[in-house]
Amino acid sequence: MSFRLECKKIRRTGLAGAFIAGSIIAAALPVINTAARPDTFTSMAGSPAAVLADSNLQIISMLNLLLITAGACILYHMEYADNAIQKMQSLPIRESGLFSGKCGILLPFLVLMFVFEAASLCFCGGYWLNAGREELVEVLQTLGFTMLLTLPAAVTALVIASACRNLWTALGIGILCIFLATMLPADIFIASLFPYALPFQLLPGMGTDRVIHYCIAAVCEAAAACAAEIIYLKVRRLSA
Amino acid sequence: MNIIQTRNLTKSYGDFTAVSNLNLHVPKGSVYGFVGPNGAGKSTTMKMFLGLTRPSSGAFVIDKMSYPHNRVKILREIGSFIEAPAFYGNLTGEENLDIIRRILRLPRSSVDDALELVDLTPHKKRLARKYSLGMKQRLGLAGALLGRPPILILDEPTNGLDPVGIHEIRTLIRTLPEKFNCTVFVSSHLLSEIELMADHIGILNHGHLLFEGTPEELKEKAAFEGYPDDNLEDMFLALIEEDNIKRGGVK
Amino acid sequence: MNIFTIAAVEFKKIRRSKILLIMIAATVILWLPNVLNADLNFDMSDIGISPEDSFFIQGFMGMAWFIYPAVMVVTTVLLVQTERTNHGILKMLSLPVSTPVMCLAKFIVLAVISAVFILLMTAGYYIAAVAAGTLHDYIFILSPAYVLPFAGKLYLASLPMLTVFWLIAVCISTPVFSIGAGLVLIVPSVLINNTKGWFLYPMGYPFYLIMSEYGEVAENIGKNTVDLIPWIPVAVCISLFCLLISCLCFGRNERR
Repeated sequence: MSFRLECKKIRRTGLAGAFIAGSIIAAALPVINTAARPDTFTSMAGSPAAVLADSNLQIISMLNLLLITAGACILYHMEYADNAIQKMQSLPIRESGLFSGKCGILLPFLVLMFVFEAASLCFCGGYWLNAGREELVEVLQTLGFTMLLTLPAAVTALVIASACRNLWTALGIGILCIFLATMLPADIFIASLFPYALPFQLLPGMGTDRVIHYCIAAVCEAAAACAAEIIYLKVRRLSA
Repeated sequence: MNIIQTRNLTKSYGDFTAVSNLNLHVPKGSVYGFVGPNGAGKSTTMKMFLGLTRPSSGAFVIDKMSYPHNRVKILREIGSFIEAPAFYGNLTGEENLDIIRRILRLPRSSVDDALELVDLTPHKKRLARKYSLGMKQRLGLAGALLGRPPILILDEPTNGLDPVGIHEIRTLIRTLPEKFNCTVFVSSHLLSEIELMADHIGILNHGHLLFEGTPEELKEKAAFEGYPDDNLEDMFLALIEEDNIKRGGVK
Repeated sequence: MNIFTIAAVEFKKIRRSKILLIMIAATVILWLPNVLNADLNFDMSDIGISPEDSFFIQGFMGMAWFIYPAVMVVTTVLLVQTERTNHGILKMLSLPVSTPVMCLAKFIVLAVISAVFILLMTAGYYIAAVAAGTLHDYIFILSPAYVLPFAGKLYLASLPMLTVFWLIAVCISTPVFSIGAGLVLIVPSVLINNTKGWFLYPMGYPFYLIMSEYGEVAENIGKNTVDLIPWIPVAVCISLFCLLISCLCFGRNERR
């Protein structure tokens, strides 16, 4: 119900177009990068997944995070801009349903971005790095891992956007979070659990224990962000 | 002498004509009531006067100045209030007016003067986004009255006000030409309201001007054409209804 | 009407916008990790840079590549949304002010905010250098005669980037596209700076300047020369073009 409503609401906001354009740009990066210097890539040690992830995934994750932050801000901006949120609050629906509807919109867009990026990385692997079937599956696993690790940032971005009436405040906080993620030391495990730092962790070369820890952390953080939103909505209603 | 005059003023959006060949004559020093149902083209006409939308064809002259050559000069003469109140929600009522004051290069006292005129002085330190609908409306009006401009363009200024507020604003508008030596061009969708303020009336429907003249002339016309002339509102409804029928049965 | 009077009005409009808080938070996020990891600057023998130079360059690099351009994108959103929320722009357009002047006044606000941000970052550098020096018993502070002119150059080099962001904010009225375009343009600046056509991409100018300074102070880092020709003429042309188009487009959507 709320998902269908949210789908209707995003009409003419340009959100779908922005995500498709962003996905194409993010997908084009590895192709341009590899096409510009194929010899560098073929001479690098490691599996095609490792080579491609090392050279592209950081910048792709950065783009993904920027797009998610912008998307989350717009999803709530359309509620706040003309005070539609007040109407929503006065209708017999749960406000948390609004949040889950927004998640239902943002997450498929996230998957869409990763589909484009997976297609691009698989193309690079197959065309330039002679990757076989198993190696391409490894590329897909790498991206699947990054996608799971991007979930907490997406949900957190929505929580921030729901709490800020002004578009630029939500955007500013999101930008600060992304920047903080780039400033945190990569070798400290606890620091790498920061929701916006998780997408920068690469699967190739990571121990199984670490992989499991990150996956559990991502699921827990996403759930914690949802819980935080529900608590925030209750507090906001009580203090209104 | 007409302070605002239009010649075949037309505004079209694609195949929809919002204002069609409008020929208005607003005498200097008068309160001109611009009446019509919702969507008649009143706001579009006012927006054209303010340069907020470009005419598709035709022209208008305001105080002997034409658009678009004299846009800034024309705007210097006009105080305006269009559609929903326009303001900066992060600023107080006083700060909002101060912004307009600085642009118009008016003395500081003009802000207090405008706030006093619309009875907003007690609330001047509150953030504008926390104002009630009526207070936002008053803030918009204060912005229009700031510096006592020679021409006032007010689009449905009593929307959202309570009966006491409506009465106050109506009285204020009625007295403005005498007090400030200005011309008021005010719109409403209620003829009964305009009747209480205006000494000239223009009736607009579907972008066409159905009538222009004094309330007395309107009554004479109504009597001549067999409309009920004892109640101007009934007469207005009859006029609009007949025009709608002429245009293909739209009611 | 004087453009500076209008600019003063524009400054009044962004009161209570929290933009200063965002800038202060960015400064803290940038310099705090640098203070905590200041010991890493002592281990730069392979690069051939002194600890104090390394401390300064690493911090400013972090600023120029992402947070500075990103905060400027946020500021353009602030300037545009302040007008659009509650239709403030409609009131402005119905006042006797020329729209190009209003557009330029808003750009002045953006340029001043960017100057404030660089000043905050420079002040943050000195506080961080003092803190790091106290922690490690070493003098990390560089002379203001070196730091301030460099900050000034960085600011001047970033002006063309600001005009591009302002053009995007004015011409693209759909918020998601204007924000997205601004942010996406930041990401490839590092890649483009490694090409010979770096001077065609204003978003990379500040970072390029820092990289060239890095090459100057570090013995074992390749030197990026800053050739003023064709950089300056290209930068001036891009800036003027962007400002001209934004002045022509400003308020056009509201005047349909």
